[in-house]
Amino acid sequence: MGIPRTGRRIPRPLAPMLAAALFALTACGGGSSPATGGSAAPAEKIKLTVGLFGDFGFKPLYEEFRKTHPNIEIEERQAAYADHHTNLAAHLATGAGAADVEGIEVGFVSQFTAQPDRFQDLRQYGLDKRQGDYLDWKWQQGVAPNGAVVGLGTDIGGLAMCYRTDLFKKAGLPTGRDEVSALWPTWDGYIETGKKFSAASPAGTKFFDSPGEIMRAIIAQAPVGVYDAQDKVVVATNPDVKRAWDLSVRMIQEGLSAKIGAWTPEWNTGFAKGSFATIICPAWMTAYIQDQAKNAAGKWDIATVPGGAGNAGGTHLTVPKQSKHPKEAAELVDFLTSADSQAAVFKAIGNFPSIPALYDQPDIRDFTKDFFNGAPVGKIYSDAAKNLKPQHLGPKEGDVRTAIGNGLGRVEQGKQAPEQAWAQVLKDVENVG
Amino acid sequence: MRSRPKHPLAYLTLLAVAFFSAFPVYWSVIVASHDNAAMAEMPPPLLPGGNFLANVSRVFDTAPFALALVNSFVVAGTITVSVTFFSTLAGFAFAKLRFRGRGALLLLTVVTMMVPTQLGIIPLYMLMIKLEWTGKLYAVIVPALVNAFGVFFMTQYLGRALPTELLEAGRIDGCGTWRLFRHIVVPAARPAAAVLGMLTFMTAWNDYFWPLVVLTPDDPTVQVALSQLASGYVRDFTLGLTGTAVATLPLVLVFVLLGKQIIGGIMQGAVKG
Amino acid sequence: MPVAHRAPKPESPPRARPAAPSSPWRHRLDRTVSPYAYVAPFFLLFAAFGVFPLIYTAWVSLHDWNLLSSANPFVGLDNYGRLFSDGYFWNAAFNTLSIGVLSAVPQLALALVLAHLLNRPLRAQTLFRITLLLPNVTSVVAVVVIFSQLFGRDFGLVNALLDLVGIDRVYWQADVASSHVAIAIMIMWRWTGYNALIYLAAMQAVPREIYEAATIDGASAARQLWSVTIPMIRPTVIFTVIVTTIGSMQIIAEPLLFGAQVSNGAATTGGTDRQFQTLALYLYEKGFRSFEFGYASAAAWVMFLLVVVVVGFNYLLVRRMRGGLDV
Repeated sequence: MGIPRTGRRIPRPLAPMLAAALFALTACGGGSSPATGGSAAPAEKIKLTVGLFGDFGFKPLYEEFRKTHPNIEIEERQAAYADHHTNLAAHLATGAGAADVEGIEVGFVSQFTAQPDRFQDLRQYGLDKRQGDYLDWKWQQGVAPNGAVVGLGTDIGGLAMCYRTDLFKKAGLPTGRDEVSALWPTWDGYIETGKKFSAASPAGTKFFDSPGEIMRAIIAQAPVGVYDAQDKVVVATNPDVKRAWDLSVRMIQEGLSAKIGAWTPEWNTGFAKGSFATIICPAWMTAYIQDQAKNAAGKWDIATVPGGAGNAGGTHLTVPKQSKHPKEAAELVDFLTSADSQAAVFKAIGNFPSIPALYDQPDIRDFTKDFFNGAPVGKIYSDAAKNLKPQHLGPKEGDVRTAIGNGLGRVEQGKQAPEQAWAQVLKDVENVG
Repeated sequence: MRSRPKHPLAYLTLLAVAFFSAFPVYWSVIVASHDNAAMAEMPPPLLPGGNFLANVSRVFDTAPFALALVNSFVVAGTITVSVTFFSTLAGFAFAKLRFRGRGALLLLTVVTMMVPTQLGIIPLYMLMIKLEWTGKLYAVIVPALVNAFGVFFMTQYLGRALPTELLEAGRIDGCGTWRLFRHIVVPAARPAAAVLGMLTFMTAWNDYFWPLVVLTPDDPTVQVALSQLASGYVRDFTLGLTGTAVATLPLVLVFVLLGKQIIGGIMQGAVKG
Repeated sequence: MPVAHRAPKPESPPRARPAAPSSPWRHRLDRTVSPYAYVAPFFLLFAAFGVFPLIYTAWVSLHDWNLLSSANPFVGLDNYGRLFSDGYFWNAAFNTLSIGVLSAVPQLALALVLAHLLNRPLRAQTLFRITLLLPNVTSVVAVVVIFSQLFGRDFGLVNALLDLVGIDRVYWQADVASSHVAIAIMIMWRWTGYNALIYLAAMQAVPREIYEAATIDGASAARQLWSVTIPMIRPTVIFTVIVTTIGSMQIIAEPLLFGAQVSNGAATTGGTDRQFQTLALYLYEKGFRSFEFGYASAAAWVMFLLVVVVVGFNYLLVRRMRGGLDV
């Protein structure tokens, strides 16, 4: 019923989805965009809205931008990760309600670039000149199949492995980051190290949090993931995906997992309590750990990730077609993604730049973090970024990965044998594709 | 007769229930008065920390909360008055007046509650675009002015609580239906109206998803303003729960201050007589 | 109605005013038109804001309607056909019924007892009543945080207690039975007080004299609840049964939050094996996660029919209990 009274059992997280939904439908009703009263008179004053999922460390940059654009006021809107993207999809589909600049995470970006009609082609505003600045694959992720430039990259999530030196010490393992990196050139080495750790670890401590993120990481290291270049789901036929699955299952069977899902409340507790000794650590994760495990300053350190470079996360900034001030919005995108801005964001909150020229710049390369035992995060993530190879992401990437992740979850919960769980994954994936 | 022996068991049960009901709210205030890390401590902190005011000012910095509070009072207040009045009116008709199609209409009322809520919001938004109500408080208020829940509730209550003889006596004296309503029905309906009012106010205050859809973050209700506190990579539970506390404490305060009146209303309807 | 009600005396008794010498014509008009006028506001509002959405979703359900593409071809009843062979939909229907029964029955029983306890002169009445509403006042954010503290596998309070008495820890989210129980408890926590307050309002209209007579006859408190109170507030009991049944059939918040304690993916699917995905959650997954609006609309309509059937069944059930009928 349309009567909100009955909406009392609808939880908060759903609302944006519903919002999304209805914007979608209204889109087809034609160009009757909501005439919110007091639409700005054509004065020189302009308000730009920026829609993000969380704090990107942009606030000081807005001030900077306004120095050159004093007539522009900037309002940032934040929502939770999933809500933000669904809401955006809806706003785009209806042609109303989107911000002037919208952030899109890499897990969703292919879904949106597939609809270039909904976005401003940033080439119109000369932003194709920025191509040379970028890691090529990062640039390509923001480009539509028809060549339109939909979004410019902000950060990337090159992989590393964070670990607890105090717990390693207790388990009789080396603690220096180079020695630790040497323990696990491959995932097999990681598992072996995990077994040694488990044999001597303090009670209540496991080797890692949950296999879900690790499996994602292993898949991300392969040249081809769950989709091939033709947007066909290849979960059943790609040996790398099966290999990631098998490795993850082995980790579960060896008892290395604390069985604590990422982004759950227990995960936060786990950080504080030291329930796990290692965790997959894209650059942006460092800020999260720092925030969740305040009492663990100096106990965490960062080593290289087993199995080679991979990427997890990262964002593009786009300008929706419906923006009333596309030119100014494009200027803002250009500014927020510039080398200087990316460097500032990295130093402030840890999101790692996607502009390779920065990687050899001393203030980035030599950047260290005290919280992580003075780890040279600048060097670690620069090296990770340089070795990254692109992987094509498909339109229903999220649904496919959920199906695989749930399968692994069933194994972990002891509900199904690995073969049985895999068979169900293949069936579910088939329905998604 | 009224003065009964003490009820130790009754008190004990009620105290236990009150504890379970109130503790989480208390606890969210506790969390709101600490920083993020305290959330994960084991055992969790049980006493307020010193960060409450700092957290509250963070909340007010992040979203226009003062405006949101005013908006929410306007919205919830209007809806409450209207729902209580129209539900009593319709409940009276369904419970005590004879008219053709009464049964069918009552059934229809109940059935409207059974439609899954999620999808109805979509076309409703389309209507709001046509009416040019998007972003305005009417869009939240008008569709909620009367609802099936209230009508059905009042129908069921008045069916029992309103003596038919009294109405007949009124009729014999030549009262029109409206006068019957004003002088007989309204007083008899008071206990139920008080509860309905409380539940309605609470629901309207907490309503989230329709306001979020149709309002904008610069002219929000409290719940819409709360959504601005959600963030992505870093989950700031402290900020979220502080927002929750700021959003719910006024509600609790209203209940406590008006509680005597509201509950008094309940008692009056029934006990005096 | 056996006992004369003590409905409050009108402040200005109708008698006080000389009977309006209204013409029989006006009188008849009043008797025939007033009822319709009184129920009209609800139906007008429903016509304005409720009917169009219904027709619209029905229309959408006949299309292959996707959020991101602009072409939404007509497919007739295909969505419905697909739905009937969709195991995950029927799995969700089963979960919904199971969680509904587990939560609604104890919830209403407990609410009755609480209302009965409060329906007597007690100290701190107001305080108790307001406290009862607190779980419902609290936002969903708080509910997540609180229940993850309760039902956490490793650090949850419930498991800590089980440990203490020597029972194995339960991984609440893993199994059908344990997850349904945990979700039912969350629902009960939020809605018991709400229902208790509704009962309380009805109980206060029950004449005290009946209780006094019953007390003289030596009826215990429990006996009084069963043979005096419940029959006297039957219409309200029917009301709560219907409303709670409807609410139970539409549960979505609790399973979603509960699943979010496993992983982001398991939240929308209601567990790794959909062991606690409810109908409303399934609708959400299809409509708002996969953007299959046509299919979701079809699911919504079938769900609506299921709700009607279940509510009808429950209505007949309560109606049979303890005779007499007001609705």
